[in-house]
Amino acid sequence: MIEVEHLSKTYGATPAIRDVSFRVETGEILGFLGPNGAGKTTTMRILTGYLPATSGSARIGEYEVHADSMAVRRRIGYLPESPPLYPDMSVEGFLHFVARIKGVVAGDRPQRVAMAIARCGLDDKQTVLIRKLSKGYRQRVGIAQAIVHDPPAIILDEPTVGLDPRQIIEVRKLIRQLAGDHTVILSTHILPEVSVTCDRVAIINRGQVVATDTPQNLMSRLSGGTGYELELEGDLQVAQQQLQALPHIQQVTVLADDNLPSQRHRLQVMAATALDPGRAIAAAVVQAGLGLYQLRRTAATLEDVFINLTTQETVEFEATDRELVAPEAVKSHPTDSPVVDLAAEENAP
Amino acid sequence: MRIVAGNVLAIYRRELQSYFASPLSYVVAGIFWIIGGFFLSIILLGPQGIIAQVAAADQVGTQAPVDVVYEFLKAYLGLLGSLSMFILPILSMGLYAEERKRGTLELLATSPMTNWAVALGKLLAVLTFYVTLLLPLLLCEVVALSASEPPVQLGVLLLGHGGLVLLAAAILSLGMFISSLTESTVLAAIMSFALVLTLWVIDLVAAAFPGWLGAALEHLSLLRHYTDFTQGILDTSGLILFVSYVGLGLFLTAQSIEALRFQRS
Repeated sequence: MIEVEHLSKTYGATPAIRDVSFRVETGEILGFLGPNGAGKTTTMRILTGYLPATSGSARIGEYEVHADSMAVRRRIGYLPESPPLYPDMSVEGFLHFVARIKGVVAGDRPQRVAMAIARCGLDDKQTVLIRKLSKGYRQRVGIAQAIVHDPPAIILDEPTVGLDPRQIIEVRKLIRQLAGDHTVILSTHILPEVSVTCDRVAIINRGQVVATDTPQNLMSRLSGGTGYELELEGDLQVAQQQLQALPHIQQVTVLADDNLPSQRHRLQVMAATALDPGRAIAAAVVQAGLGLYQLRRTAATLEDVFINLTTQETVEFEATDRELVAPEAVKSHPTDSPVVDLAAEENAP
Repeated sequence: MRIVAGNVLAIYRRELQSYFASPLSYVVAGIFWIIGGFFLSIILLGPQGIIAQVAAADQVGTQAPVDVVYEFLKAYLGLLGSLSMFILPILSMGLYAEERKRGTLELLATSPMTNWAVALGKLLAVLTFYVTLLLPLLLCEVVALSASEPPVQLGVLLLGHGGLVLLAAAILSLGMFISSLTESTVLAAIMSFALVLTLWVIDLVAAAFPGWLGAALEHLSLLRHYTDFTQGILDTSGLILFVSYVGLGLFLTAQSIEALRFQRS
């Protein structure tokens, strides 16, 4: 349904997005996840035809967003980061206006507006002026204007930002209901949001898509090792020594927890392989004469995945930047690492 | 074509509705009516007014001049023109600046309609609102004109008021363009006013330049061509100038909105 291929956009000399590619199948919800300034809004604005891309192409159905801009605009609903509302209009009047400018024929308008109002739970606010609505309701009107012309594709930029927790849950539920009939792309920098609402996630960082997969796959793909969390009673040092001595254990960290009674400790153990050393850990704790109160396997959360992916990228970028900018600095320490040694030798003749 | 007309109409209705919903437009209307009405009575009934002049001529025994009603029309339309110069930038200041500030421009720009349709709808709406502002003053004028003997020629009347509406359309169109350049309505109003004032008196500036430059600048003057209209002179160059200003405003607005897409926002 939505195909994005090698999309790049530069503002002057600064690249906003570089070589972004992804696909969204019909009826799917794609979560666009990334820190602020990663290029989410830019990508969405290109998809809606608001911004022209510097290179690459994007298609909604069979229409290219730039070449067939008008056809694309009829087929997408778009909620920008701040909902585009006219404060002096009533909810109903505004939705009629949007339906009209989106090209809904006059006969269908009352029905479409009524449907959007019903879907977004705005029944008791139809005649209220938009400026008198609370933030949560305004966001719903924003979503209603995006779906009022029944577009096959819906693009939502940060649909839950600034809402209170109850409103967030309601908006997410609404978005989930939209899938199936509509193809949805939503952007967010809130991690739990994608695992709750989205079928697939595209993680974007510094203008590049780092990974695209289902939330479950992403989590398992990145959690190469297995983690355990323990709650123990007894000597902390003994416990750490015993656990470190086990095979395949990479790391033992003490987690701070003020709520624990004295002598109790919370530890995190990271194992290298998927060998599942749970049994060995339990045995080691008991043999050392310590009390075991809890032993729990911790899967990597999407948050870990996100931090993992985006920080890795950052480190890589910085590394290449340094090499490009200051080769002298590398040369002046030729014994730092074998890689640098090789480079120095190559440069020598 | 029908779709474009539908889009223009949709923008027109929304924009017009927002004028009637806004307290600012009522304040502007109130001031316009008070000042307009005040000067109407001065021109008619004041110590140096038209009626006093006719009465004086009557007492001296000379025949009252036949073109007294046209003198009145010229003075009154001239006044409405100058007054509009202050009012119109306030009406046009929000046309795009508000949309930019509220973020609704993104909605318009991602809807299946051209920048031209949006700009035309907006211009027609603000022009309609301005004509609505004129109506009560015209009513007073009709009362005054009905007393004239011989009756005023309809052609002169239409030409004068048509000129006023054309003048307003030209100023509003340029004001709309300036409004599309900024997110600040105040800035838009001040800049529009400065531009209108410059165009208003540009024939004074033109006098300082000899030769073709002066002649060219002189032709751009709004006041000079407008005065022709109020005197019942149909000057095609004036007509073409006003229509060109309207077209230029629309064109520049459409271009400036298009250019916004290429900027970093």
